[in-house]
Amino acid sequence: MTRKASSVSAETVRGQILLRTETGLAVLVFIALAVLPLLISGYTIYIVPQYLLYGVLAMSLSLLWGFAGILSFGQAAFFALGAYVIGLAEQADPGLVNPTYVALLASLLLGASVAAFTGYFLFSAGVRDVYFVLVTLALSIIVEQVTISQSQITGGYNGMFVPRISLSFGTETAVVLSSDTAIYYFVLPVVIGVYALLSWLIRRPFGKVLVGIRENEDRVLSLGFNTSFYKTAAFSLSGAVACLAGALYGTHAGFVSPSLAGVSFSTQVVVWVAIGGRESLLGSLLGAVVVSALSTYLSAIIPDYWQLALGVVFVAVLIAFKGGAASAFDYAFGRRFRRD
Amino acid sequence: MMSTTLSVLADSTLITFVFALAAIGLAVVFGLVGVINMGHGAMLTLGAYFTWYATTSGVPFVPAVLASATSVAVVGLVLEHFLIRHFYDRPFETLLLTWGFFLITTELIKIVFGTDLRTVTNPLPGAFDLSVVTLPAYETIVAAISLGILLVLALVLFKTSTGIKIRALVQNPEVASLLGLNVGLAYKNVFVLGSFLAGLAGALISPMLSVDPYIGNIYLVRSFFVVIVGGIGQVLGGTLVGSFIIGGSETFFALFAGQVLAQTIVFVLAIVVLRFRPSGVLRPR
Repeated sequence: MTRKASSVSAETVRGQILLRTETGLAVLVFIALAVLPLLISGYTIYIVPQYLLYGVLAMSLSLLWGFAGILSFGQAAFFALGAYVIGLAEQADPGLVNPTYVALLASLLLGASVAAFTGYFLFSAGVRDVYFVLVTLALSIIVEQVTISQSQITGGYNGMFVPRISLSFGTETAVVLSSDTAIYYFVLPVVIGVYALLSWLIRRPFGKVLVGIRENEDRVLSLGFNTSFYKTAAFSLSGAVACLAGALYGTHAGFVSPSLAGVSFSTQVVVWVAIGGRESLLGSLLGAVVVSALSTYLSAIIPDYWQLALGVVFVAVLIAFKGGAASAFDYAFGRRFRRD
Repeated sequence: MMSTTLSVLADSTLITFVFALAAIGLAVVFGLVGVINMGHGAMLTLGAYFTWYATTSGVPFVPAVLASATSVAVVGLVLEHFLIRHFYDRPFETLLLTWGFFLITTELIKIVFGTDLRTVTNPLPGAFDLSVVTLPAYETIVAAISLGILLVLALVLFKTSTGIKIRALVQNPEVASLLGLNVGLAYKNVFVLGSFLAGLAGALISPMLSVDPYIGNIYLVRSFFVVIVGGIGQVLGGTLVGSFIIGGSETFFALFAGQVLAQTIVFVLAIVVLRFRPSGVLRPR
């Protein structure tokens, strides 16, 4: 019993150190990203926001999987929903308010409410672990199928063009964020904001309860916490974040098609997060950015072998490095290797 | 009207058995050793590609199917021996590892066989004309084989000493191992059997559609829902009932709503069943 207690406290102390160094590293990364457009231009500045939005999607999964122990194979469903919402809102502009604001708000609300509904429906009945994974897998297929079948609204297989968002302040005319740098500096604060919000949240009691659920749900339940409420809340937040990321991705890429919700993209997110480090928000963010950047680069040169290598790395991470790159980093800088 | 009803009924029955065939390997592994085999789809695909390769190399269809299923069983044995057996007590880990297996296998298939659509010649192109309905010959034979597999599995599980051992293992692995059962070997056998059945299903399904590297995915999620709706552990009856609910209702809804929407409705239905009857429709709560 004493051994158990001491190992728990050691874990907490180590966790705090990790968080402190991670925050420091995150600040460095975000400063580097903020000055990047001043140093270089061209395709890199165009494409980096897309990778960062993949990173936000990855963070939404990290919150669920790394902290609450709920694996979702359906994050892409929310991502695609967001992209469709912004596309439809910009098209259906009634002229009263700037549709961008409506769309971004709607994507947050839609993501949160779909996730809250699904989450409450299942968690309240005790559907957990692998069963939940299968439901989320089905969720992404359902969104893909619905967007294919409702072709008069969504454009079916051919997808839909999404206009760039525009900003307006007061009564001034709206400014379309058409330049690469403008949209870059719109996306970056959102990424930083999501990171800050989530890393603040996981240090609050809310985050501790989620970690408790991951470690032993029954014990947390017997301590009097309504675990299905906490899980639903985590899933809703994750859905809202994924949906917002999808909305921004849609307007940045200018195009959305049903495959954005598909199983292969959904599981791609899981691969990013596993490789980056599921228990680290920054690890997940960078995992998504690095792996998707490498994918774009290497897919042009060695498409099949790159995907194969990615699969092998994924399996290797699962077997030997549960913490992914984040814990390898931890290890390399002199901290004890976390192997639990 | 009468003949329409009958032909819908015949279609649903055939689809039920094809779904059962695709799901049975998964049901065996999921129900008996508790592993969510996300690689099941890749095993189906492998079975289909091996069959395509063997038949185009001049091997007759039946030996080709058997050789394909055996090869997939060998792949399953390797996977189990080097990876899965170390993770039996961690369902999340096995789920992700088998997903990794899926990713790797799919890429290997693309590298070795290419991404073009492949077709396996239908060995029995005719139809059985039963005056009221006509049944496509090959699909009917496959349905019969599927039923045969279910019956043989039932016999093995409930009438042989191997079956008793496996059921003991499902009920209580610890006590079973105390009584001298080699748990590791039994798990290995079940996993290899599941792989064999997946390979067999892929091989038999291959002439029904064009073979591409993602052919198994079509059946993966459906198979999971067949198993969940039917009830985990209810390997035989559950698989049949689950296949009927998933496959049959998909055919039924497709009459009104179109193929794509029908699939969506069925998935939603399956999620609702999972919510209210987590241990399957056959078992009382």
